[in-house]
Amino acid sequence: MNNLLQFVIRYSAFLLFLLLEVVALFLVVRYNENQKSIFAHSSSKLAGSLYKIADDAIQYNKLNRTADSLAVQNAELIERIFNLERSLQGLIPADRPLDSCILEPYNIIDAQVISNSINQRNNHFTIDKGRKDGIRTGMGVISPHGIAGIIDQVGEDYATAISILHSAARISASIKRNDYFGSLVWREIDPGRMVLEAIPRQADILVGDTIVTSGFSFIFPKGIFIGTVERFWTEGGSNYYSVEVSLHEDIARLDRVYVVEITDAELNAK
Amino acid sequence: MNTIILRQIIRALLVLLLQVLVLKRVGLSNSWLMQNGDIFIYPVIVLLMPFRLSRHYVILIGFVIGLILDMFYDTIGVHAFALTATAYARGLLLAYLEPRGGYQLSMSPTIFSMGLNWVLTFTSFSVAIHTFLYFTAEVFTFVYIGQILLKTVITFGLSMIVVMGYHLLFNPRT
Repeated sequence: MNNLLQFVIRYSAFLLFLLLEVVALFLVVRYNENQKSIFAHSSSKLAGSLYKIADDAIQYNKLNRTADSLAVQNAELIERIFNLERSLQGLIPADRPLDSCILEPYNIIDAQVISNSINQRNNHFTIDKGRKDGIRTGMGVISPHGIAGIIDQVGEDYATAISILHSAARISASIKRNDYFGSLVWREIDPGRMVLEAIPRQADILVGDTIVTSGFSFIFPKGIFIGTVERFWTEGGSNYYSVEVSLHEDIARLDRVYVVEITDAELNAK
Repeated sequence: MNTIILRQIIRALLVLLLQVLVLKRVGLSNSWLMQNGDIFIYPVIVLLMPFRLSRHYVILIGFVIGLILDMFYDTIGVHAFALTATAYARGLLLAYLEPRGGYQLSMSPTIFSMGLNWVLTFTSFSVAIHTFLYFTAEVFTFVYIGQILLKTVITFGLSMIVVMGYHLLFNPRT
């Protein structure tokens, strides 16, 4: 007992170090498994408001206000377009199942990116809207030239989103010309390029083809322009093409973004 | 004594602001360097703690500062892991690099007290440990060892420039 006590005293710094490392690793692992209920995030009051202050200082005030009102108008317009497109689809049922004809409005919330990153393995960005503005986990974030990410942590006034440049991001996307679809992933090297995986080999692909969201997930509406095909190849005897897509949106310059809310009724119908 | 603590706290706050508001933003530039690396100045907070401060406190402070950075970088646990290890390694490095006469306990490991060569050695070992562990914990597997090493080397270089720049520019006494 005495020996043990002496051991603990002698190596107390080392033991403290070990303990804290275990805690840190636990956080890393836990975070990788599920991204829920973690206290310390940039959607928190402290980090969020600091980012907000810094962002405000950088933006020129007057321009800012003008842009705000434009963004609101934009959000309304995008909302109308999505809803009109859906109602058009409903008018032409053809071979579509009935539930896709039910009209449910999309809600668009405009937001400002106040912090962003592109050079990590798992990139996130923070927006200046939170729970009280109607932001919820799992909503899609689109930007003027494409898609930006998916809402992850939501604080009262701020929210963080998983950027599409995140090792866990999988976005259902399709080739606009022929509707072949696969999942769009980031291979952690170039923030301007992503790879569309699992496109069947019989698909005919041309360099320059347009890639859009497929609409098969309830995160992004169908048909949002993502980017164009740069090149494609088959990986080691696989039956699927991997397609390199050059993104239309420069994620490093995200500024104004729009959060897409697809109402619960639609999710329930599924 | 109180002024020393106050000075450490103010330094910590300023360095943290510099890290999350300026250096993190630099990471958004589209250059090849920044796409494959990062710039860390914040290890300097832990490295510049006074000699007198017990290793336990340094380790604890390292952990807490790491968590704060994780909050701003949305990398839960990764910065904390790396900085705790750096704080522990700092104790070992200090013991290893101890000059014949021992340390002047009221001082900090600065150029003023220890000289440029000593600080350069001390800083480069610490920053190397920190960046390597950071990228290892970020990926959380050695499968991507090539990428880890590339990022470590680039980040080490950039971080050394800002950390030594801090030393030379401000020439902190304590």
